[in-house]
Amino acid sequence: MAETEQARTLRTEHMFLNLGPQHPGTHGVLRVVLELDGEVVVNAVPHIGYLHRGYEKIGEDRTFHQYIPYTDRLDYLAPLSNNTAYVMAVEKLLDIEVPERTKYIRVICCELARISAHLLGMGIMALDLGAFTVFLWGFREREKLYDIFEKLTGTRLTTSYMRVGGVVMDLYDGFGEDVRTFLNDFPSAVDEMEALLTRNRIWVDRCKGVGVISGEDAVQYGLTGPNLRASGVEHDLRKANPYLVYDRFDFDVPVGTNGDSLDRYLVRMEEMRQSARVVEQALNQLPAGPVNADMPKIVLPTKGKVLTSMEELIHQFKLMSQGFEPPVGEVYSAIENPKGELGFYIVSDGEPKAYRMRIRSPSMINLQAFPHMVRGGMLADAIAIIGSMDLVMGEVDK
Amino acid sequence: MKIQYKELSFWEKLYLPAIVKGLSITLKHLFMWPKFTMQYPEEKPEPGPRFRGFPKLVKDKEGHPKCVACGLCAAVCPPHAITLQAEETEELSWERTPVSFEIDMGRCILCGMCEEACPVEAIVLSDTYELVINDTRKWVFEIDKLLEDWEGKETELFLKNRK
Ligand code: SF4
Ligand code: SF4
Repeated sequence: MAETEQARTLRTEHMFLNLGPQHPGTHGVLRVVLELDGEVVVNAVPHIGYLHRGYEKIGEDRTFHQYIPYTDRLDYLAPLSNNTAYVMAVEKLLDIEVPERTKYIRVICCELARISAHLLGMGIMALDLGAFTVFLWGFREREKLYDIFEKLTGTRLTTSYMRVGGVVMDLYDGFGEDVRTFLNDFPSAVDEMEALLTRNRIWVDRCKGVGVISGEDAVQYGLTGPNLRASGVEHDLRKANPYLVYDRFDFDVPVGTNGDSLDRYLVRMEEMRQSARVVEQALNQLPAGPVNADMPKIVLPTKGKVLTSMEELIHQFKLMSQGFEPPVGEVYSAIENPKGELGFYIVSDGEPKAYRMRIRSPSMINLQAFPHMVRGGMLADAIAIIGSMDLVMGEVDK
Repeated sequence: MKIQYKELSFWEKLYLPAIVKGLSITLKHLFMWPKFTMQYPEEKPEPGPRFRGFPKLVKDKEGHPKCVACGLCAAVCPPHAITLQAEETEELSWERTPVSFEIDMGRCILCGMCEEACPVEAIVLSDTYELVINDTRKWVFEIDKLLEDWEGKETELFLKNRK
């Protein structure tokens, strides 16, 4: 009785702390309300919506062609991959088969995007935990990739490179050499990043056993991507449901054991090496041929033909002013994005615009597991966990 | 493929070896050449042939806008940045020309879809990337501004690229 009396009078109120939206450790504009007992996190409630742009609704108001640039801005660290996921969903709706060469180009683009996303993601995680050098080196490598993207697509970030039925333009001359040069230096660059972190006591102390989530819980929360694989669940859409031409390459899917921040970091580092292997193989196998499907009612005619032939000119006008009309129906198509499973669920009522455009964005769903991971940890662990989950707010808020 | 992580050894648990190793790597980088960073305002990056800078209208040899005011670019522009008004003309070998043509650069996302859509290659994305406008009232580029001469990307380039 006396104890409860004492406990009542000397009760410590829990403190509420806003982590973000301007906190640099929250990757953009994530706001987490932390309930703290001293320095221990009792509960965490993520508040999202600061970057909400209504992309699902915009999808109902733009033609399928016009919507492509919007997908760049979902996970803005891997726009090429988002483009691919989106156009593949539309292609599934239309039942189009793209040429072989395009499939290879898409694989190369997706894997390069994965490398660039992980380089930045892990660089930022290191930056959040106080290792500035790693971030700069990661950024430098990513910059080399972005130079290639710029030469290929015309811009560094908002690529809009994929089109329904193909790509905007074929690879430029010398693309293969540029990528090979990058791949030559790349392993040593990752090794250097790892040399600074992986066996560094400070890094290990801050990551090991932090934000543990078991494989079972991870599946329950619907985690995908490296976050799921770090918990020991070997699930990768590239292997589980080989889209494009992924079944033709030899690569491994790294999985972790403990599901802590260290594992999430290790899995991503290894994934970059595996992606480099895929790119290498894809470059070697890259077939020649057209890049756009031969479907004049859906794919834009080439510029040269528009200037000289009446029929192509009519198609150009029809496609650009109205867009193509898909069959009535609904599709779901997903690919393995750097952050996890990015899926588009399109409901079509036969109009050139989607009736409903649903985006299953991996970061949004991964974020739900954050309170589970952080409960019982220290305040400083929250930063390590957010960093290791590699959230991108453009995708969380859509 | 399971990732194996060996526990830190006694030596690694002492902070010093990691610090020495880290410093030696960073020191190596200090003497690495060439330096990767570009000193931006002094050095300028060279945009490639596919670069998508801000949109410009193209003139023919006599200095008339090539645009036939068909409105395709305005129709396809995803953020609806283009507004144009057509007019009939008798001076030219074609019948329509724009009286007004505006691109709201506050909306334009430099996606290149107007260039892709234009049937006569009258609008191209130039290689100008320095686009800082302090005054919001100047964000809307009128036809004169869009037709200004600029050095750089030729329209033919796009034709060549999209074979
Ligand atoms: S570049 Fe894109 S956003 Fe800009 S005017 Fe052209 S179509 Fe519109
Ligand atoms: S698409 Fe070309 S010709 Fe048509 S209005 Fe636009 S700039 Fe003019």
